[in-house]
Amino acid sequence: MPSSSALPLDPLTRRTALRAAGAGALLLGTGGGLAGCRSAVNAEEGSAGPKRGGTLTIAINQDFTPALLFTQTGQSLQNRLIYNTLIRYDDDLEPQPELATSWEYAPDGKSITLKLRDDVTYHDGRKFTADDVVFAVENLRKPERSAQLAATAKAVTGFEKRGDHELVVKLAHPVSNLFDLFEFMIITDRHSVEDAVKGKKLNGTGPFRFKRWRPGTGLSLARNEKYWKPDRPYLDAVELRVYTQPDALLSALRSGQAQLSYHVSGKHLATLKSSSGFTIKQYDTGNGAVYVGATLDEAPADSKAFRQAIAWAVDRDRVVDQALGGYGLASAAPWPKSSPAYSEANRTHYTHDPGKARELLKSSGVPTSRTLPLGHPTTPLHTAIAEIVQYDLQQIGIKTELQPFDPASFQKKLISGTMPTLWVNGHGFAQVQPATLAVSAYPFNEARNTSHFRSAEYTEAVQDAWRQKDADGAKAHARYQKISDLLLDEAFIIDLAVQDSVQVAAEKLRGPALTKFSYLNLDDAHLV
Amino acid sequence: MRGYLLKRIPSALLVLLLASFLIFAILRLVPGDAAEVLAGPDAGPESVAAIRGQLGLDEPLLAQYASWIGDLVRGDLGPSYAIGGQVADLIGDGLGATAELTLGALFFTVTLGLLFGVLGAASRRRPVRVVVHALTTGALAVPPFVTGVLLVLVFAVGLSVLPSGGRVGLLEAPDLELQYLLLPSLCLALPSAAVLGRYLKDSLERAFAEDYIRTATAAGVPRRRLLWRHALPNALPPVVTLLGMQTGQLLGGAVLVEAIFAWPGLGQLAEQALNRRDYPVVQDLLLLLVAVFVLVQLLTDVVYAALDPRIRWE
Amino acid sequence: MTTLSFVRARKPGPGAARNPHQPYRKALATTRGRIGLALALLVTLAGLLAPLLSSHVPTAQSGEALLAPGSPGHLLGTDDLGRDLLSRVLYGIRTDLEVIALAVPLGALLGCAFALLAAVHPVLDTVVQRVFDLVLAFPGLILALAITAVLGPGRLPVVVVIALAEIPVFGRQLRAGILVQREREYAVAARVGGTGRARLLLRHILPNCADPLVVQLAVSLTVAVFLEGAMSFLGVGIRPPEPTLGNMLSQALPYLAQAPHFAAGPLLVVTLLVLGFSLLSEALNREIRR
Repeated sequence: MPSSSALPLDPLTRRTALRAAGAGALLLGTGGGLAGCRSAVNAEEGSAGPKRGGTLTIAINQDFTPALLFTQTGQSLQNRLIYNTLIRYDDDLEPQPELATSWEYAPDGKSITLKLRDDVTYHDGRKFTADDVVFAVENLRKPERSAQLAATAKAVTGFEKRGDHELVVKLAHPVSNLFDLFEFMIITDRHSVEDAVKGKKLNGTGPFRFKRWRPGTGLSLARNEKYWKPDRPYLDAVELRVYTQPDALLSALRSGQAQLSYHVSGKHLATLKSSSGFTIKQYDTGNGAVYVGATLDEAPADSKAFRQAIAWAVDRDRVVDQALGGYGLASAAPWPKSSPAYSEANRTHYTHDPGKARELLKSSGVPTSRTLPLGHPTTPLHTAIAEIVQYDLQQIGIKTELQPFDPASFQKKLISGTMPTLWVNGHGFAQVQPATLAVSAYPFNEARNTSHFRSAEYTEAVQDAWRQKDADGAKAHARYQKISDLLLDEAFIIDLAVQDSVQVAAEKLRGPALTKFSYLNLDDAHLV
Repeated sequence: MRGYLLKRIPSALLVLLLASFLIFAILRLVPGDAAEVLAGPDAGPESVAAIRGQLGLDEPLLAQYASWIGDLVRGDLGPSYAIGGQVADLIGDGLGATAELTLGALFFTVTLGLLFGVLGAASRRRPVRVVVHALTTGALAVPPFVTGVLLVLVFAVGLSVLPSGGRVGLLEAPDLELQYLLLPSLCLALPSAAVLGRYLKDSLERAFAEDYIRTATAAGVPRRRLLWRHALPNALPPVVTLLGMQTGQLLGGAVLVEAIFAWPGLGQLAEQALNRRDYPVVQDLLLLLVAVFVLVQLLTDVVYAALDPRIRWE
Repeated sequence: MTTLSFVRARKPGPGAARNPHQPYRKALATTRGRIGLALALLVTLAGLLAPLLSSHVPTAQSGEALLAPGSPGHLLGTDDLGRDLLSRVLYGIRTDLEVIALAVPLGALLGCAFALLAAVHPVLDTVVQRVFDLVLAFPGLILALAITAVLGPGRLPVVVVIALAEIPVFGRQLRAGILVQREREYAVAARVGGTGRARLLLRHILPNCADPLVVQLAVSLTVAVFLEGAMSFLGVGIRPPEPTLGNMLSQALPYLAQAPHFAAGPLLVVTLLVLGFSLLSEALNREIRR
């Protein structure tokens, strides 16, 4: 808890205290007792101060899950607060130094030499060395860590240590998304990792120390006094507070109880936009995309024409406007604008054209008499999208019945490949190197995916794009386009819109930033 | 007496045993398990299998049941599967938060209930009685989740005098905790307070109609004195019974109120544990609720039997 | 959950001989009863006549008017997907009533059946009581979460949860009534006179226990409305896009400051419906207690 007792009682606080007294008296008459005390609301407001210091409270919509520490989920904000990664992508996906200061590829692309910082210590005082990087890679390869970039970690065949702060990483074959791994992989303390996945002790090198985790309430972090970046961080403490109900989360922001959130749905942002005191920032790199999936061994989704008809039938602009509240990009392809695979032609490959969809259905002779199941998770966003898709499909004569599943049941169906004929969901991993999408995001996996889509051509295109040293350049772009062409033509995953990460911050908060994997970087954040 | 208890205890234990079977079985019927939740949305079968092995979910069901009951009997609740931490800590924290919320609500139920009842029955001003009646009617006719959101809008967002949700812990900052507690406990208490108030009002009105009170009124005993000295004490015993019943309802309503006010109590824990298929947490939590209920039933029966000579100790 | 479930058993008195329908007619003639009946009927009729009264298909979406306030085209405005709120409220009443009209009587019948079973033999009585305990031991909403997790969201789990919650309520009520009535003179006389146990139970005792059950029915209807709403609020309610009062309310709550008209319609209807039922139950209760 931030303490408000140190703060001078300015007129505003006094007025608030008076109002608190009024409301208290109004409520029960015990108000008298409360009015003299500090106010819980003031205490939160009291985090304003000079450049150094202050507590930042972040509203999150799901609790930290220690067992999922190495898996990308909807809530990974704490990863870059407690831990560091080897590199940091800038807006153009160019790697910038973090724990690794420089790197050099071997000419054949089958090994890379990393130079590491030598002035970094863990929160418990231990020195950071190359062994920690070796452990981090090996850790991600374990199936029980269930890390999405495991495929890339598995391409690593060996290490060669040159002293404590230089490391050669050897690869079975070049991989175009090696730096995705370095951006993704948090460097944990190898001695306490089992405690970390139990939520007992999270020991890292990051700007904030783990103080404690109260399940259902959230994480409490305190400033790392020995952070390797001089004079950073500015903040004294960070609190991540859980608000599972969307309106509770909104209220926490609007009442000043929390000053930062990435979990306000676009639809509800209008409420905050109208009230001053907040800055809303859109990250057009996208933190995921929403799509309609098709199960290819269920008729009529086995017909390509049928799937393409769906792709023409859905009104993507309406999805962006109505389900995402305008915070997104209608797109037929999975790529956000920042992706090397992005192109306007890919994005608008399919547009809203019910006439064309009907024609396609008619000419292909696919029967549409049957009512098809349309699965979706019970989360409000996906429910709204499913309702929109259902309505649009109805306009071209495809009747569907919505099948809501609670998130756990939905996930089971997703990863076991037992989805109904059609389903609505979101996917990640299009915001980094394009090869990562195809090797790490399950819906797009060439070897095994939810849709049961198999094609030698797709496998070849994916492997070809992945087993390369260069992630950028004309040749790389041609390889990415091949993947896009196949995805768009086969339409087993029908992308609807790229979701923007939206940052809602109190006006007095400056400098929060998200990494490409939605980890929160507060190194430069401060309250004014 | 001892004979009665001896007869009653086995059946209580039987209920517990049955409940444990039921809870265990129903949980396994829910599609998806903790391993699938922990594997994340992009996992392959090898990840799921590895996690399942770690958690012991690949063992036969009977063995899982036996080890659950065995651990319970030894008093070791073990670690949680999906939420993280120890089950005992999770349930302990949740229990504390829910108990606090329930106690807060009980306070409002009693004070507001008494206020509604006495004002509704004894106020000489008609407008006061009408307002009280409207208030109790409203408290019963508006769903509690709407009341909750309205309270937050008015006191946290509009006037910004009280926090919108969350909890700091009673021991760490009691003065702040009271402010966090105010809105959720009020929201939880309103319907019960209305029920209590109405009931009390009825009882008081009946008491005022009794002959001895009318005689006393005619003899010039002040109405106020009659109310506090005679009518109210006579109306209270059944109100206490009602209060006992309403306390049970408060616990049930807490699930909803905890969600609205981000109050980390048992309801939130149950929801989260169910959503993540955290078997140990759900199992122990539900069994605890059943045990508490059974115990209360047992005590009630024994007390009733002790008070009522017609119930023989057969 | 909120309930008014405090219903008094009928006072022992000369009641056994009176016309059983008298108190109901009297109750409906009071102001309370009249208003309650009128409100309940009004909302019910609106739901029944939804196809006639609404001008739009409740699931028809439009791209133009999102969260628009009331206008001649959309009397109550539109929701976040551009659907007509009036039509959705009307059809929402219909859905609610269909669910409740199925679930509450189902729960009541099962509860009564259990209570009658309990009256047959002391051992059965113990078993039935423990069954009631078991159901009562789980808070309703936790039960709702678990049942929905097993069955998947939809109408079925809502019906099951409401019915299940009502079983012990009606069962205990009837059991208590039977215990009282069994010792009354007429019952003792009938037993001595050789009336069969089943006949005595069904023909004589049961009708005399009916009054509190009728009151409880009205109370349970209000509980069911709330339970449906609470389940929708927690995201385990009836499947979209079908409108229900509960899921409309829960969708509308985050927009309360931005578009209050969204919540106003369903909130008003829920309030009127619950008010109607509770006034009715109150009126009945007062007459029966006399």
